Amino acid sequence: MSKILEVKKLTKIFNSQKRNIKKQFRAVDSISFSVQEGEILGLLGPNGAGKTTTIQMLLGALTPTSGEIYYFGKPFSGTEDPALNKINFASGYANIPSRLTIKENLTVFAHFYQVANYQDKIKRLATEFEVQDLLNKPLTQLSSGQKTRVMLMKTMINYPHLLLLDEPTASLDPDISQKVRQFLLSQREKYNVSLLFTSHNMNEIQEICDRVIFLNQGKIVAEDTPMGILKKMKRTYIRMVIIRGESDLIGYSRDNHFDLSFKKGKALVKIDEEVIPKFLYEISGLGVRYSDIEILRPQLEDFFLQVAKENITECGDKNEPNQN
Amino acid sequence: MNLTRIKGIILRHLFLFKHSWERVSDSFYWPAMDIVLWGLTSLYIQKSQNQVSGLVMVFLTGLIFWQVVWRGQYELTVNLLEELWNQNMVNVFCSPLKLSEWVTGMIGLGFIKMLGSLIFAIVLTLILYTVNLFSFGWLLIPFLILLLMSGWWVGLLVSGAIVRFGRQIQTLAWAGVFILAPFSAIYYPVSALPFWAQIIARMTPISYIFEGMRKVVQSGKIPIFEFLFSFILNLVYLVISVIVFRQAFAKSKELGLSRLDD
Repeated sequence: MSKILEVKKLTKIFNSQKRNIKKQFRAVDSISFSVQEGEILGLLGPNGAGKTTTIQMLLGALTPTSGEIYYFGKPFSGTEDPALNKINFASGYANIPSRLTIKENLTVFAHFYQVANYQDKIKRLATEFEVQDLLNKPLTQLSSGQKTRVMLMKTMINYPHLLLLDEPTASLDPDISQKVRQFLLSQREKYNVSLLFTSHNMNEIQEICDRVIFLNQGKIVAEDTPMGILKKMKRTYIRMVIIRGESDLIGYSRDNHFDLSFKKGKALVKIDEEVIPKFLYEISGLGVRYSDIEILRPQLEDFFLQVAKENITECGDKNEPNQN
Repeated sequence: MNLTRIKGIILRHLFLFKHSWERVSDSFYWPAMDIVLWGLTSLYIQKSQNQVSGLVMVFLTGLIFWQVVWRGQYELTVNLLEELWNQNMVNVFCSPLKLSEWVTGMIGLGFIKMLGSLIFAIVLTLILYTVNLFSFGWLLIPFLILLLMSGWWVGLLVSGAIVRFGRQIQTLAWAGVFILAPFSAIYYPVSALPFWAQIIARMTPISYIFEGMRKVVQSGKIPIFEFLFSFILNLVYLVISVIVFRQAFAKSKELGLSRLDD
């Protein structure tokens, strides 16, 4: 696999001035990463983490303060760079002209990207996205789900090698979001398209991303596969109803430094996953009897919440799981 | 420069023209209203003051040719604003379309639409007042080129300001060029202006064009000096405006183009 995109020490500092006091805000702070051919990379983080700023620099819509961007092994110079012919993007902050029809909009973008036989391409995309009957309707007459499909049609007009998608499913109904995800996966399957994808939807990220980068305050705080990040969150929870031996369990937890609490009549123990068999064996040996045992493994959202709260001294230590 | 991409940006705004009554009225309705109103006004003045000869011709020529300057500026500035209103800036300028291609497309589109509006206005003037602006003959071509050049550099300066400061100054997209109107000698000679205004008028290439046109109307002679001086001034301002626009665009990218879409 070859590198489609490589980013080296990318930094963006915004300067502002109020009452003669100059201030600097480091929106993106020396981040480096790459996207391989056919890979889906998720860019995650709370609001203000630097995701959109990063995407904009990758598009040339924002000039970096420092750092380097390489597309297909060549340095990217921003707007007017030939690499823009081979990539495309969609985002929540960019729309296409609403008074033009779908066909007119796609015709315009087909000219920008110099697509040969663009009329055939538009017909094919219309079939794929199930908007054949809407081609001559202006965007003002479309639902938000239909508009999102049109935006995705625009992203596919030039047979891109890389798609930059900034929260493409935000504000969509769950069923349409699911369709969009299926479509993106099918495009990767058919054309080996690479994707750089930002989202707040953790399930979405877990479902489609091969690899995830967590950004917080402009810095990369974690980079791994979704499973790899979950593994880094060593702490799992056991939740169970204690039938007998509650005091023995409290004593055992205290002696072995397990974090034990009781909620709604159930014991909740924070524990490393690999220690669970030993824990259960030993409390059974002490005469503790339990029922309704649940093992609550961490989810990507837990990590996300941790990052958001900047409590990342050790993954999984500050927050309780969000499962109920 | 790529012709397919230039065609793309021209198509984008021609498609809009088809769907937009505002654009159609800007091209035909308002010029027609101006011609009717000012043509009748100048007819009245000419009748009540017998010594003023050729007043209707001078007024209507000024009015119609001023539309050419305005049209040259308007296509650059309002079509740029159209992208801001549609949150389409990032889509357009982060596509392979180059800034120079966008400007060329807007100039080409402005030329096409100017021709449409101009022919409509000249024919309307001929029908309503039997004033024939085609009588300028081939001289119309250098006049139009010089007037369009003036519209372009004003348009590029205003576009630079819009790209830098966004929609908060959007009124300049329509009104920007009117700051030059009092000094452009459209309806009166430069000599009629107070001294301070004459200095500004002498630095305005449009004033030489309108003064030259009045000379053609009155004496039938071609004012070579006015043409040449206007051309040189226009060329200097056009070069400056291209530099200003490119720098404003670069500065805007430092702050982020998508902020213009918010």
